[in-house]
Amino acid sequence: MHPTGTLIWYYYICPREVWLMSRHLTPWQENPFIEIGRLISKESYQRDRKEIRLENIVIDLLKTEGENVVIGEVKKSSRFEKSARMQLAFYLWKLNHLGIEATGKLLFPREKKKITVMLTKEIEDELEEAQQKIISIVQMETPPPARRIKFCSKCGYQEFCWS
Amino acid sequence: MKRSIYIFSDGELKRKDKTLCFETKEGKKYIPVENTHEILIFGEVTINKRLLEFLTESEIILHFFNYYGYYVGSFYPREHLNSGYMILKQAEHYLDHKKRLNLAENFVSGAIENIKRVLIYYANRGKPLNETIDKINSIALSIKDCESTEELMAVEGNIRDEYYQAFDIILDSEHFVFEARTKRPPKNRLNALISFANSLVYTTVLSEIYHTHLDPRIGYLHTTNFRRFTLNLDVAEIFKPIIADRVIFNLVNKSIIKPNHFEKKLDGIVLNDKGKQLLIQHMDERLRSTIQHKRIGRHVSYRQLIRLELYKIQKHLIGEEEYRPFQSGW
Repeated sequence: MHPTGTLIWYYYICPREVWLMSRHLTPWQENPFIEIGRLISKESYQRDRKEIRLENIVIDLLKTEGENVVIGEVKKSSRFEKSARMQLAFYLWKLNHLGIEATGKLLFPREKKKITVMLTKEIEDELEEAQQKIISIVQMETPPPARRIKFCSKCGYQEFCWS
Repeated sequence: MKRSIYIFSDGELKRKDKTLCFETKEGKKYIPVENTHEILIFGEVTINKRLLEFLTESEIILHFFNYYGYYVGSFYPREHLNSGYMILKQAEHYLDHKKRLNLAENFVSGAIENIKRVLIYYANRGKPLNETIDKINSIALSIKDCESTEELMAVEGNIRDEYYQAFDIILDSEHFVFEARTKRPPKNRLNALISFANSLVYTTVLSEIYHTHLDPRIGYLHTTNFRRFTLNLDVAEIFKPIIADRVIFNLVNKSIIKPNHFEKKLDGIVLNDKGKQLLIQHMDERLRSTIQHKRIGRHVSYRQLIRLELYKIQKHLIGEEEYRPFQSGW
């Protein structure tokens, strides 16, 4: 089992989402926040290259700035900054293994905000650990129990979890 | 909240760029797809493949009804939520006799609980229904002894007989008497109302199933014959008393629906267009009305409640939480 960027993203928000996503039990698609997110990633940065697929990762956009390769991840808001950082770091780490040195930029078009993400030894170790944990979550027979956290109120799984 | 669209006129439904357009002799009407949950067609409507492709892309179900208001079938677009895992779980609970029976029992007992709620509601308003409630309680005792879904269906049938007999006590209207349950065609006005309202509940549940990871072809109480939808019939049992029947009682007791909303057809009685529209309008209002949901912590509509019920079934199938059918609070 190879964790994907999406699972890394979910891991830092809620382990239950990791389990559900691993079974392709996708969240309620009409959740307004999911719809807004989808729209933002569709409408923003239309001039740059979009959706590059490499093995099991999907990179929102990729460009070269001089010698450097820059990959971008578009997000609705910086509310989940930790998740976003680790997802992008995971892509950098993956590219690294393919022999591509790159830097990452988190893009929050609505907030007109960009955050640069670089791969460091600490982040690599953290990613390693996260991947191990993700694998063990996915191997569970039943999902980790629902726990109410601050993200529940806007989550596409809230009706599923609390029904 | 997305809306259901009901089409009664004759005309052509087609794709117009990124929207839907319904064209009749009188003119064109545009239907924005982002706001459309499902489309129910009662009139003579022409459609083409381009439209079906667009509906699939927009994840909108089409339900067809014939001239007499009988459900004909649905255009159920290609599944957009695929989880092989959930399909396997659904099949596992179908193939394992004990697991299947457990779910089937839940659908029956859920239906009976909600039937009782309706009766208690009217008993509290002075209708002499205690005898019916007692009878239903005593028949319901045999649910736990049922060893097959056929037996369960029979118990449910017996309870429904008692329940329908009580319609005459609840309604007390010379124009709407129950006599006996008759379908295809219904032999009197009340039966016509019941049949039509029930088919609306079936299609509503089907539309909600489409937005979950469940496969509507695998039902538990109603025998799966692998080609038609049955899970929606199972889940509808729970909601028929509190959605369809309550709407019927309101319409008749408040004299909103009258004998002139019916016509004699095919040696039976059917609703005319005005009658169908009235019932649909009130069913739609009922589905959009909300109740406070404790665990979610806010108001949810009856339509959402149906979807939540499907989520509970999913959680049961996953092995996370034993399914307990929804019980109306009043």
